Amino acid sequence: MLHLRPGINSWLRDAGWTVILSLAAGAVATLSGKPARQASSAATPAEQVTFNHDVAPIIFHSCSTCHRPGEAAPFSLLNYSDVKKHARQIVDVTQSRAMPPWLPQPQKLKFADELRLSDAEIRMIQRWVEQGEIEGNPADVPAQPKFVEGWRLGKPDLVLTANKPLTLPPSGTDTYWNFIFPVPIQQTRWVKAIEIRPGDKRYVHHANILVDREGSSRQRETEPGAGFGGMEIRIESQVFDPDSHLLFWKPGTVPYVEPEGMALRLDKGTDLILNTHLQPSGKPEVIQPSIGIYFTTHPATKLPMLLQLENDAKLDIPPGQKDFVVTDEFLLPIDVDLLAIYPHAHYLGKDIQALATLPNGTTETLIHIPQWNLNWQAVYRYAEPVRLPKGTRVSLRYVYDNSEENPLNPSHPPARVRGGNRSSDEMCHLWLQVLPVNFDPARGDPRMLLQEALARHNVEKNPADFEAHYNLAAMLQSKEKIEAAIHEYQLAVGLRPDDAAANNALGAALVAANHPEQAVQYLRAALKARPDYFDGHYNLGFALAGQNDFAGAAEQFRLASRLQPQDANVEANLGAALAQLGDFPAARSHFLRALQIDPNQPIVKENLDALQKEMNSH
Amino acid sequence: MSAGTMLLRITSAATVLLACTALGFGQHTAFDLEGHVVDPLAHSSKVVVLVFLRRDCPVSGRYAPVIQQISKAYAGRARFWLVYPDKSDSAQEIRKYLTEYGYHLAALRDPEHTLVKLGRAQITPEVAVFDRSHRLVYDGRIDNWYADLGRARPAPTTHELEEAIQAAFAGKPVHRSEVRGVGCYISDLE
Ligand code: HEC
Repeated sequence: MLHLRPGINSWLRDAGWTVILSLAAGAVATLSGKPARQASSAATPAEQVTFNHDVAPIIFHSCSTCHRPGEAAPFSLLNYSDVKKHARQIVDVTQSRAMPPWLPQPQKLKFADELRLSDAEIRMIQRWVEQGEIEGNPADVPAQPKFVEGWRLGKPDLVLTANKPLTLPPSGTDTYWNFIFPVPIQQTRWVKAIEIRPGDKRYVHHANILVDREGSSRQRETEPGAGFGGMEIRIESQVFDPDSHLLFWKPGTVPYVEPEGMALRLDKGTDLILNTHLQPSGKPEVIQPSIGIYFTTHPATKLPMLLQLENDAKLDIPPGQKDFVVTDEFLLPIDVDLLAIYPHAHYLGKDIQALATLPNGTTETLIHIPQWNLNWQAVYRYAEPVRLPKGTRVSLRYVYDNSEENPLNPSHPPARVRGGNRSSDEMCHLWLQVLPVNFDPARGDPRMLLQEALARHNVEKNPADFEAHYNLAAMLQSKEKIEAAIHEYQLAVGLRPDDAAANNALGAALVAANHPEQAVQYLRAALKARPDYFDGHYNLGFALAGQNDFAGAAEQFRLASRLQPQDANVEANLGAALAQLGDFPAARSHFLRALQIDPNQPIVKENLDALQKEMNSH
Repeated sequence: MSAGTMLLRITSAATVLLACTALGFGQHTAFDLEGHVVDPLAHSSKVVVLVFLRRDCPVSGRYAPVIQQISKAYAGRARFWLVYPDKSDSAQEIRKYLTEYGYHLAALRDPEHTLVKLGRAQITPEVAVFDRSHRLVYDGRIDNWYADLGRARPAPTTHELEEAIQAAFAGKPVHRSEVRGVGCYISDLE
């Protein structure tokens, strides 16, 4: 009797993490070419205010980055006549603080690239208009701001352009479109910066990149390269890979270069998904985004993580309600540095706030947006990392307005609104990019502790939350608490009996716990839900082999190999099953094929030797 | 009775013509894209709608499909004119704009703001509606799509322009100066 070992050490495929990455967002970096700020508050009320002396410095510093050709704003603000042509409107939009677009209130914890006019600057512009918009002495005007044209960080190492442009219709509501960029790399590379060029910037409100290592988004395209619609997208990830980078573009964004040691990993076969929010302009617009990637040779040594607070389950907002409050809070199980924050709600969101209550009782405002506006949503990066010690309570409090008085209300008259992915649904999400600090590397990846605490918190908060059970199970499984993991997967499958990923994961966990006979039904359910599910076939092959049903196993491995012909493990295991069935020549050819795909498989070599001996002895 | 009504109509039409003269038609005035002087109210027994637009105003742009759709709905009974009050706009630039936005409406340059004054426009986009006897029956916003700059409703819930056109058809002689439009000031062009 042959004793064959599995193809590689880790032989079960579980779907692992289901992470909702829809909100993975991006970087707001120093504006390049920012003119030095001039003190412009010199004029007293009696003095004459001129464009050249008083107003130009404000405009050049706070407006021209976007208000110039090729950028997001609809007209240029680069000289006297540009500004005069919009003078009264500029008074309005600066007084209402609609411009420059910056939603958060001033607070103690500073953000990088804060772009907010002082009250004195706003009054200055108003006085200039009241006094008749005087140009002033040409010698007073500061130098024209200089801007980098083209790619901000120089020529990228790799430029990817959307396969198929999107034609935005002239009218209608806002459009949410996802472009898929397959990354043509042959091995894992490290990325220090990504510049998003969202197409014509005037029609793109924001865009963010999601990393799809499994190609799962492609299934949503009607034809390859076409892209797909949808505001919030969900990507499943197979490994513990919390995708901790916020890759975000909004008007005025300059690409963010990750600090040393915080590069982003890109594997072979990865797709980058660009999720865009587009606004019709009145005429048809062709939108064809591109992405510039800058590699580094330094792999990541610091691994940040995205912590998500949310409470969508509590979103059930009666029509007419003006102040519907939703909260969530989370106790940090380890010390972290908070690097960036990204709040997210849809059109009913009104007042958005996040706080940190430190173990010593003091409370810090992490962000406060008193008048939320989805159109200007952004990732906010702190000027300095914010240390949050273990035991800090991070909390969110979002207020929603579902009354007729909220002009952005998607329904007229107002209708009941619940949590969901469509723009007419609501969301209550807060992402925190944190970097674990003060930990002992010997005790494992500290992000695991965070993830587990978060998963437990979510399960407690909402026992009917499928994803929470699923993620907690995956977490437990990765810590080899297999029985506890099986329990959580069972709860997840109970909530969604037809979910392919959950059935597959439960089946895989049962096989790992030596219950292949129990696994089979779940793996079959997974394959019923998704017949071309590679992992499902692979795992079912194992479960059957575990019950000595080698014919059944061989069949499943064959189906798996048809789906992924380049998978060495499938070939190795198919060979093993065939050997068990006594079909030595076929077994041999699959072992050889496995070694051809990946020569570095000692176990396959061992199996091949054993097989050779067995064949020779006959 | 019926003779009296007739008389009244003629009188009010004459008043408006007078007003036009007072505003300087003939001296300072509006031009079509060939450079000819045009008085959009002259020789028209239809309801006239002036739509004030700035090419550099994003809200003006976004209204293009709405303006097209309303003008189509009342074609034959109401005459629509697009009015460009920016004196630096050339006929060629305006033609390009019309093509890009798919407009099939006549456009006028109003460098002296003759029509702006006649239609009491302040913001782009705004409209002025004149009834068949050339009385201004409405000036103001098209609808309430925009609550404020950067805050648009998913769809408008009031439709002032269409109501004004219907009032003009019905011969209701009320002049209404409603809520101003949201967009760009015309006075910034002076
Ligand atoms: C981060 C980029 C950015 C900065 C900085 C910025 N703007 Fe804007 N601005 C925009 C965009 C984009 C729009 C178009 C908004 C729209 O169409 O909804 C806009 C529109 C405007 C408008 C027209 C309002 C409208 O909704 O049509 C005015 C006036 C304006 N900006 C003035 C300013 C002034 C003054 C400053 C500086 C104090 C400034 N902006 C700074 C991006 C910017």
